[in-house]
Order: sequence, then C-alpha cells, then structure tokens
Amino acid sequence: MGVHLLHRAVLSIPVLFGVLLLGFMLLQLVPGDVAQVIAGPQATPEVVEQIRRDLGLDRSRVIQFFIYITRVMQGDLGYSMINNTPVISELGEAIGPTFELMIGSLLFSVPIGIALGTVAAVNRGRALDRIIIAISVFGVSMPVFFIGLMLIMYVGYHWELLPFLGRAGPLWTLDGLAHAALPSLTLGLIFIGPVARMTRTAALEVMNADYVRTARAKGLAERTVIIRHVLRNALIPVVTLIGLQAGYLLGGAVVTETIFSWPGVGRLAVGAILARDLPLAQGSILILAVSFIVINLLVDVLYGILDPRVGKR
Amino acid sequence: MTAVTATEPATAAPRRWGNMRRLFRDKLAITAAILLVLLVLAAILAPWLAPNDPYLTNTRLRMLPPVWEARGRWEFLLGTDGLGRCMLSRLLYGLRATLLMGIIATVIGGSIGLLLGLFAAFYRRLDGVIMHLSDILLSFPAILLGLSFAAVVGPGMTAVVISLAVATIPTVVRVTRASALVVMGQDFIEAGRSIGLNDRTLLVRYLALNCISSVFVYMTLRFGQVILLGSALSFLGLGAQPPAAELGTMASAGRNELFLAPHIAVMPSLVIVVLVLCANVLGDALRDMLDPRLRHT
Repeated sequence: MGVHLLHRAVLSIPVLFGVLLLGFMLLQLVPGDVAQVIAGPQATPEVVEQIRRDLGLDRSRVIQFFIYITRVMQGDLGYSMINNTPVISELGEAIGPTFELMIGSLLFSVPIGIALGTVAAVNRGRALDRIIIAISVFGVSMPVFFIGLMLIMYVGYHWELLPFLGRAGPLWTLDGLAHAALPSLTLGLIFIGPVARMTRTAALEVMNADYVRTARAKGLAERTVIIRHVLRNALIPVVTLIGLQAGYLLGGAVVTETIFSWPGVGRLAVGAILARDLPLAQGSILILAVSFIVINLLVDVLYGILDPRVGKR
Repeated sequence: MTAVTATEPATAAPRRWGNMRRLFRDKLAITAAILLVLLVLAAILAPWLAPNDPYLTNTRLRMLPPVWEARGRWEFLLGTDGLGRCMLSRLLYGLRATLLMGIIATVIGGSIGLLLGLFAAFYRRLDGVIMHLSDILLSFPAILLGLSFAAVVGPGMTAVVISLAVATIPTVVRVTRASALVVMGQDFIEAGRSIGLNDRTLLVRYLALNCISSVFVYMTLRFGQVILLGSALSFLGLGAQPPAAELGTMASAGRNELFLAPHIAVMPSLVIVVLVLCANVLGDALRDMLDPRLRHT
C-alpha cells in the first residue's frame, strides 16, 4: 500500500512541475514592469526596486523560476492586477464554496448512480435495464449549462421554489442550504449517468464470478449476494473510475459556478482569464490542479482500503 | 472517458459482415447515424440553407419567438435572438463552427495519439517514455487545459481547439496501444518479419490497419465529449467570440434573455444535445459490435 501510494505520489511530481511552469509562464505574459504591477500603482520606487530584487528579475529566467517555486511553496502567489488583493486570500475565500458544491453534488449523485447501475445489472436485458441505460446515455450527452439553465428557468424562476443566485452562507444554515441546492443538483445530475454506467459494467463482470455462484449455491438470500458479494467487489473499479472522472466533475463545477454566480475557484479562474488578470488566473489554475492531484491520491488510498490486494503488488 | 475499456481488437474478417448486419438491425444506431449525417449536411450547406444573414442585427425585431407562437413571423422560422438576428440561420452557422471545432480537435488529437500508441506497442523501448508522458497529460483534466490555453494565448477558438486536441491525445494513446499490443502478439506479425518486411510496412500495413477500427470507434465516442467540452468552454466565454455564431457562445448569450425569450438559450443547447447523443449512441453501438462482451442483451 505504502509503496503503491509512493509510486503515485512520485508520478504527480512532473505534473506539479508542469503546472508550476505554466503558472510561471503566465506571469511572464503580464504586460509592463512585473515588479511595478506587483507593487501596485501607489508603491514608491524603493519598494518596486526591493520587489525586483526579491523576484530575481535582474537574474536569469531559470533562477526566476526557482524563486517563483519557493514563493509559491510559501503561499505567496502575487497580487491580483485588478483588485490589488493577495491572490492567496482570494483563493482562500473561493476554495471552500467549490468543495461545498462538489461534496453536495457527490452526496446524492454517487448513491443514486450506484443504485441505478446495480438495478440495471440485476435486471440485465429487461426493460428496466434499457430504461436506465437510456437515462445514463442521456445524462452523459447533456451540456451542464443546459441542465443549469433549465433548473434556473423552471425551479428557480417559474415555480419560485429555490434561489438561484450566489451563495448565502455555510451549508448548515437554512438559507445557505437553499442557495446550494440548485447548483449541487446541476452538477450532480451530470454525474449520475457516468456512475450508473460504470457500476453496471463492473457489477455485470462480478456477477459471473465463481464466488458469486458459490454464494448462491450455499443458499444465501439474493439480496445478500447482490449487496455483500457483488456490490462490494464491483465498487472497487467504480471508486477508481470516480477518481478518474474527477476532472469531468471539475469541468462541470467551473460551468456551474459561472451560471449560478457561485463564488468558487472555477468562477474566479474564468473571470480572471476573461479580464486578463494573469496573477489571479495563475493562482486559480494552480490551486485547481493541486486539488485535482490531491483528490486522485485520496482515491488511491481509498482504493487500497477497498481492495487489500493493491498493497501486495 | 467512459469508454476506455473498449480496447478489444477487431475480430476476424469474415465475422465483420455479420457484425455489420447486426448494426443495421439496430434501429437506434441507424437513426443516430442518419441524424448525424443530416446535421453534417446542414452544417456544410449552411450558406445555402440559411434563410437570412446570421450576423444582420435588427433592433426592432429583437427576441421574436418561433413561428408556432403567437408573435412568431414566417421570415424567422425559429425566431430571433437578443439582437434581432435570425435564430435558424445562426443555428446553422453555429452548428458549422461547433462541428468544425470538434472534428479538427478530434482528428489532430486522434492522429497524434494513434501514432504514439502504435509506436509504444511496436518499439518496446519507446513504450515507457510514451506511456509516462501520456499518464502525465491524462492527470491534467481537460477543463484545466482549456483554462490554461485560454489564459496563455487569450480566449478564442484556437485555444479551445488546441486544448481539446491535447486532452484527446493521451486517451487515444491508451486505446491504440492496448489494441496494438494484442495485434503484436499474433503470428502474422512474426511471419511478416520473417519474410523480411521493413518496419514501416509492418507498422502501417500489418499493425495500424488492424487497430484502426477500435481506435475509430473510440474516437466516435470521444467526439461527443469533445463537443460537450468545447461548447462548455465557449459558453464560459473562452471560445468563439461574439458576434461569431457557435452553439456554446449562442447559449451563453441567451442567458441574458432567459426569462423573456428562453428559445435563444434553449435551441442551441438542444442542437448540442442531439449532436452529442447521436455520437454517443452510434459510438456505443459500434463498440458493442467490436466487443461482444459488453453487449447489452
């Protein structure tokens, strides 16, 4: 297990390096004098000169890159060109809502997807199976923004059931929960299809296994066979696939945040790119990539827990 | 992403015709194929089919509903958008832009991926390097590629196509390599070698031609994803820039009039749904044809 995890962690180093290089490149694109931009318009020449020396702007690009890496490691991502606020504090405010949105959507989409996939596998070839397959194909063919706009138009505007603009507070307040409902629903709806599909395929493969026949032969109730023997083993590939699909979820989150004015990192990143606020864009892309790497490592840990064989390889 | 398992190679040639017949019996897949052909034709013929100039604005004819609603007008069959431009004409031109974006990205990413996948399977010494590189690319989600390219070269179609192509490469490498490795294990490769064929002939005539069908099936499925992702990037404002007609950009513009004239956002979204749905249904059917283990019934 430890070795496996270490291997995965080592694999993510080049990715991290690539992301840092990208961030560094983005900062090179900032027009004008970088030191002046970072210092802000009111800075005295002494301060600008100090920053220039701190950043190593008088030295070679390679040295600048290493200075950049050490700065990032210390949590210094520069200043937003538009608000003149530290990028790290903007990100600090935005990362929470993004995780809220993702967790909110996973909480209902993963159980529903697994349930649908299992039901489909158990009823293989029957009408129910076909209906569930149809639903999941439809689900993976829907643009996120279409689902979001429809929910806003009907649930939010015509039926006036739920608010659809912004975030009102943490999830444990009633208002906060109400505001989070539609964005989470939007993001979760695109995830049910893939999860159902993966579960169905995995369950079908397991159902033909010898130990499932044995479980049936020794007279276990069908329910027990499905839940304890089939599902437990089918969940192993499903967990990895959910990890692989984290990128898909991230993409959905960026669009969902933009539609619902949800103050997360995705919306921040898009806003920064459109406004050419490169330090902020650099910071938000960096943090999204790092969270993605961390999520994948966590999935690997979970994988090891679910499947003890992984550690022995 | 959901189809990475489709790595089985084509079965022996005689069975392929039986498979083709089965595909023709699959009414859903045929409908999807016909719809796709119609959509492609509509996109190609857009300049001749469009009833109006897709860029001509008219402030007095803003947000007209489709013809079947009370205020609808016959010269604007599907109504007009927030600037009074003909929706039908814009949808045709938008479809053209979206399809072109998807096809260019899939073909570029697919060809590079195919080549690298074949090399990885054929030249075993390259295998490690190619697979490591593609693993690294794979752990960089497509949306982040899109955001990064848009940040570096500025929002626009170029950024979107580059990021979609780059995101497609590693997935195609995996599918190609898996299918090529199975082919490499077969006797005829050894036979070809022993009669003194050079690497290029072996690679192209023996290996590539035997993997191409499974790669093509995967690319059909990938095409749907590429369209979804590309239109999402355009929706965010990172792709085609107004006034250009592109389905994602059009849906995004429709947000401003969502409650007054929902058709402006709904219609381009529906075209995307039909496009992606057809690609997915067709891709699934083709994959089931090649890999009978996954067949639904």
